[in-house]
Amino acid sequence: MSGQAPETSKPLPRTTPDSTPAGDLPLAVVGQPGVPFVEIETLRAREFIPAAKEALSSLLKEQAQGKLIRPVFNWAGRNSLFPLHWGLACCAIEFAAAFGARWDAERFGVVPRSSPRQCDLLIVNGTVTWKVAHKLIALYEQMPEPKWAIAMGNCATGGGPFRTAYSVVPGVDKLIPVDVYIAGCPPRPENMLDGILRLEQLIKERGE
Amino acid sequence: MTEMWVNMGPQHPMTHGLWNLRVRIEGEIIKDVEPEMGYLHRGIEKISEDRHYNEIITLMDRTCYVAGLSWEHLFIVAAEQALHVTPPERAEYIRVMSAELQRIASHLMWYSAFVQDLGLMTPFLYGMRDRDLILDLFQSYTGGRLTYEYMRVGGVRSDLPLGFTQRCRQVVDWLMDRFVEYDQLCLSSTIFHERCDGLGVLLEPEAVAYGVTGPMLRSAGSRRDLRKDRPYSVYDQVQFDVATATTADVTGRYLVRMEEMRQSVRIVRQCLDWLDDHPGPVMADHLPRWLGAPYAPMGNESYLLKRNYPTGVGLSMIEEPHGEAGAYVVNDGGEHPYRVKFRSPVLINIWAAKRYLPGYRVADIPPIMGSVDVCVGECDR
Amino acid sequence: MDQEQLSAGLSARFPGKILGVDTFPGTNGRVRFDATVASDLFRSLRDDFHFTHLTMVGATDWIDHREVFYVLWSDADRRYLILSTDLPAESPVIASAVPIWPSANAHEREAWDLVGVKFEGHPDLRRIFMPEGYAYHPLLRSFKIHEPEDLEVKVRSD
Repeated sequence: MSGQAPETSKPLPRTTPDSTPAGDLPLAVVGQPGVPFVEIETLRAREFIPAAKEALSSLLKEQAQGKLIRPVFNWAGRNSLFPLHWGLACCAIEFAAAFGARWDAERFGVVPRSSPRQCDLLIVNGTVTWKVAHKLIALYEQMPEPKWAIAMGNCATGGGPFRTAYSVVPGVDKLIPVDVYIAGCPPRPENMLDGILRLEQLIKERGE
Repeated sequence: MTEMWVNMGPQHPMTHGLWNLRVRIEGEIIKDVEPEMGYLHRGIEKISEDRHYNEIITLMDRTCYVAGLSWEHLFIVAAEQALHVTPPERAEYIRVMSAELQRIASHLMWYSAFVQDLGLMTPFLYGMRDRDLILDLFQSYTGGRLTYEYMRVGGVRSDLPLGFTQRCRQVVDWLMDRFVEYDQLCLSSTIFHERCDGLGVLLEPEAVAYGVTGPMLRSAGSRRDLRKDRPYSVYDQVQFDVATATTADVTGRYLVRMEEMRQSVRIVRQCLDWLDDHPGPVMADHLPRWLGAPYAPMGNESYLLKRNYPTGVGLSMIEEPHGEAGAYVVNDGGEHPYRVKFRSPVLINIWAAKRYLPGYRVADIPPIMGSVDVCVGECDR
Repeated sequence: MDQEQLSAGLSARFPGKILGVDTFPGTNGRVRFDATVASDLFRSLRDDFHFTHLTMVGATDWIDHREVFYVLWSDADRRYLILSTDLPAESPVIASAVPIWPSANAHEREAWDLVGVKFEGHPDLRRIFMPEGYAYHPLLRSFKIHEPEDLEVKVRSD
């Protein structure tokens, strides 16, 4: 009995019934390095996020129009900001230093996670080029709501010393909405922590 | 067994930066790899054509953000050759000392990131703690933690502050004790040996053919080190040994880097002794105003009135923490270089992954690629 | 092997194709050669003159022509050697060094990407830094540095 699924269990209903059946999706493309890899995870997330949103909003409706549960969510969310573990350029080294022994960013509840689905904060710590722009947007879109973005350093804010280069996006706010800008080239770890604390203040004021 | 291509990157905990390793796997076995670069291509060679020589130093810090002073040194050696400028000897000693301290800092950054990939958390905290001590030293005489803008064509920006040599000696003494601790943390750990021994083997003839340099080449038994083979700056005045290993695997690279840090401490101590005894100028005299006066007002006409300066080409090759870095600077007599070309050791070391990755398992990729010491800034430029 | 020996040896092997040997500080000199003998010259340098390392390949746009330069290293001499050749600007094509030194692979892709020099016989001559389909070779002098255009700043929709 153990180890075997009961025969009566039905497959879970798909939230988007008219999408492509899973059997037709190419799992991976064999050979040919030029063919882009199909990300099947993205398709699943597209179904999961609306379902989770629906469940959450119905919960909020039940809880006395959100009066009870919203402050709790807000308090928990702003004190456990999980940034994406993603190093772009120079600022990533200071980002890493902030998690070292001297600054210990984890005392503010900031724990870097490697998967965008476990994150609610995207710290853009470096120069964004046009080649990586669509990947950055994809990562931002994969993060569950509510989500926040910090432009760390001059490059992410406005292109920095590479503003005139042909391959550089002049500021990450041309790609995704940014909540907090941190100046510096690169900012010291204290500046980064200050930016995160300001974001916490911002979340508190917005009351989401 | 099904073959498939898997993308590791550009956002992957293994990459330590913006690059993508496309891996063709059959089951768990790696059949072929294809590194994809350029996600951090910032056009440094192009915007250098629009900048004064001393303004390019700003870009050099950002080119390799874990070894900024080494790359400043690289560009300065080439630019001085192209511009026919000779720096005073004290400046050369300060540069060598800075480059060696930077090598320790860079290797500590590698150590922190690499050992964390293996699942050991304590070395990350220790490594970052001790790296910050070196960055404090840099801050005391350059003013910056990562981006220094310290070296200049014809010397260095300012002399060392009072009491620096004393503080620096204390730090390197402390570090020498910590290196023992690092070895105890790693080499006595079963996890470390299980995940590193015999992985990523790249023997010397293949490494030479694929252009691999630096600790990766020396871990295969080669004694190639530009500081010995073709001494630049004052490396012919200091005593040190070339660190080598014979295993040509991940553990060998670890041992080489650990020994290199000890040798760097040796060089730093000799430089400090020399600097204590030989006060003097740190900037060459009679530099043209546009070159020697970095803080001249930009609107000032005399800043640009120069010309009558000989043309030239400069080639510098230095032993950077990651391997052999090169700079090729063409001076056509103008205030901007005509062409600047850099050789990045990391680009070539990653490229050779086609040679040293196939045959291992997917779970071996983080330790093997971690042992390359990737810095994407200099790789993509 | 010093510069004179190298120069004499190369001239004897490739009569009329070695256009000159300049002095270059810290190296064995700079050899200017005719691009038609590139492949044979590379093979001869590796096998007869023991230049086992290819350190750097780069290209410069001199508007009327393009210069390709190679930096080689010999373990026996412990010296560098610079090779340099001029290609016509309208069709910059030269034989690839990948069959002789595999390390040339990434360098040549970079030179193609940024300066637009074609390497015949390269196994995989694609762009390396810029995305595939990019229309320019940015390190050409005709490609001007410019301020970025004004783009719309994204704001939160909620």
